[in-house]
Amino acid sequence: MATITEGVMQKASVKDKVTKLLGVNSLDARLSLVFIGIAFIAFLLGGILGLLQGLNRAGLLELPAWLNYYQVLTAHGVLLVLVFSTTFTIGYFYAALSHTLGGLLPKVRKMGWVALGLMVIGVVFVATTIIRGNASVMYTFYPPMQASPWFYVGLVFLVIGIWVTAFGAFINVAHWRKNHRGEHLPLLAYFATGVFVLLFFGSFGVTAEVLYILPWAFGWTDTINVILTRTLFWSFGHTLVNIWYLTAVSTWYIAIPKLIGGKLFSDSLARLVVILLVILNITGGFHHQIIDPGITPQIKFMHVFMSLAIGFPSMMTAFAMFAVFERAGRKKGAKGLLGWFKVLPWGDVRFLAPMIAMISFIPAGAGGIAQTNFQLNQVVHNTMYIVGHFHLTLGVSVVMSFCGAVYWLVPHLTKRVLTPAMNKIGVAQTIIWTLGMTLMSGAMHWVGLQGSPRRTSYTTYGDNATALGWDPYLFLLAIGGTLLIIGCILMFYIVFNLMFLAPKGETEFPIAEPEEDALPTPKWTERWTMIIVLMLAVVAMAYVIPLVDMIFNAPPGSPPFRTW
Amino acid sequence: MKQAKYGLVLYIFLMLPPVITFLESVMAIHMHMQMPLLLIVGMLLAPFFQKHFPQFFGTWNKNGVPGITLFMIIVIYWLMPRTMDEALTEPIVEVFKFISLPFLAGIPLRDSWSKLTGVSKNIIYVLLSMLFGLMAWLYIASPTQLCNNYLLIEQKALGWGFLLLAASIVIYFLSTIFIDESKYV
Repeated sequence: MATITEGVMQKASVKDKVTKLLGVNSLDARLSLVFIGIAFIAFLLGGILGLLQGLNRAGLLELPAWLNYYQVLTAHGVLLVLVFSTTFTIGYFYAALSHTLGGLLPKVRKMGWVALGLMVIGVVFVATTIIRGNASVMYTFYPPMQASPWFYVGLVFLVIGIWVTAFGAFINVAHWRKNHRGEHLPLLAYFATGVFVLLFFGSFGVTAEVLYILPWAFGWTDTINVILTRTLFWSFGHTLVNIWYLTAVSTWYIAIPKLIGGKLFSDSLARLVVILLVILNITGGFHHQIIDPGITPQIKFMHVFMSLAIGFPSMMTAFAMFAVFERAGRKKGAKGLLGWFKVLPWGDVRFLAPMIAMISFIPAGAGGIAQTNFQLNQVVHNTMYIVGHFHLTLGVSVVMSFCGAVYWLVPHLTKRVLTPAMNKIGVAQTIIWTLGMTLMSGAMHWVGLQGSPRRTSYTTYGDNATALGWDPYLFLLAIGGTLLIIGCILMFYIVFNLMFLAPKGETEFPIAEPEEDALPTPKWTERWTMIIVLMLAVVAMAYVIPLVDMIFNAPPGSPPFRTW
Repeated sequence: MKQAKYGLVLYIFLMLPPVITFLESVMAIHMHMQMPLLLIVGMLLAPFFQKHFPQFFGTWNKNGVPGITLFMIIVIYWLMPRTMDEALTEPIVEVFKFISLPFLAGIPLRDSWSKLTGVSKNIIYVLLSMLFGLMAWLYIASPTQLCNNYLLIEQKALGWGFLLLAASIVIYFLSTIFIDESKYV
């Protein structure tokens, strides 16, 4: 028995050495690069549409009659929230699985391409209906607003694509575990497993929603239960938000310590963060519906509690990250209480971008916790404040982490290197982006507190004094948006450069090592069945009672509306 | 012994009057949260009793079958709508609930589970999923109120909860058949 295990381990270590010598598997790299390439094309297009909106909201740009504000808003949301984030996450984690598990299995790679095909078909359906002006329903596609049925068909393809990638990841992880008995799954692959478990189970709600909407959209049924669709949507929507967050966090835990010359803070703590996020994630949905009627305050309160529970692993992450920074700084000879802060490699964009992401998560997370409260949410719910909030969480925390990963991930995959010149452009991009987002998101927060509504094109409400008072902030918003488009174009150029133009060379996939005196990770962290069962139990606790109430005590359904 | 301490704390917490009032105010929470938590209390306390009374468990629950039978009897008893009603109206039945679920179901379950053979475990999975499926059908399909204390709509919510529970057990059961855990550890 022991010899078999040793034999397997020896074989594995030989494989690892081969991988190390030959570098990244080019077939796996191509798949990840296509996903990441698509992500950044969506990023550029979404950014341009964002600028159009910003200028319109400031009253500086009148959109032509053939290009509706809500059409632009829908495309902006779908491209950035659904396409950019999902394709980047999949590309990144497939590269991570390939690197940490000794290459993707041929069938998993094939599944990756099939998934990509399905997602492209989905995006074509969705994009066509939006461009033709038949689906200006925003990325949340709330009924009773009704898009063309083909919009929802596209969403079905997108979700199936996501499922195929999730199963591909599961197959690869199971295969590795079979050949590495008694070992812990590498931490990055552990994060990947958590993310794909969430992607799979989290999308159940939206799948049920889309299957319920389809017959209504085709006209086979007359009415729809609005509150039910919103609830199903947010059971998925909030999970998706945390999937990006978990992806960003994985780069913080694993890549950053290595880049700044530090060590992994604690393998067990990082795994516990993944476990907690997987278990607690799907059940926070109702805090997006705090002012929705038809849900009892008790149920909303339970969801508030469950949402706040997600804050706990975030605090653990914050603690771990600052501990890593301090240790790395002190190792470099930093003195005094905060001396370590100065010796961090601020000029290295691979550190600077994710560091900005982390710093921005402090106000962003605090704002989120504030919004989860009933009374505070009622003040800001339908205002620009919310838009400001998610441009800070997603637009900075997530996007900057993803961009930070690009600087080492893309050259690693293309066997190129990040040149000092490109590093400088990256630093400039990060500064411009941060400045732009601070102006834009700050203005959105403030003008939202003054009552300016979200999801609305520019209007002065008949030159109402209050509405006119918003204008200076909306100007700031437009200035921020203009800076952001510069950042967007720069980022696109950087990705293009790292993919096709940068000089050939070897770039390491940075994986932090544990401290010498690290304690062994407990075995139970590998029991995914238990984690998933706990997750399902929490989901059942959160959703069975309200969903049954919504279905059996349903109000009369709503006919479709076309508001544009 | 850490587990036993946690068990005791959880047990005392569940006995607090406001906690009892809240947990029993909704049918699904009563049956699917309070009762399983009481069962978990028993499972957490089990190592303490196993350590102090090894003779007792060795004599009376040698192969795990008596223990699991007792567990099934207690679980089936508490699945009945009538017993839930009684627990709410008769204080003595409420006390019985707080004693029977931890001590006559939770402790025997933990003591028996490791002693049971694979086939017996499979029988329990199948029995429980069938039982929960049956309860789901009863609570969802019943046109009348089964409990005097709970509304029809709460009954339906409980029924759907049972269906999910049954499905979860079936999925877990199938996973134990198709996935050989020993290949991974």
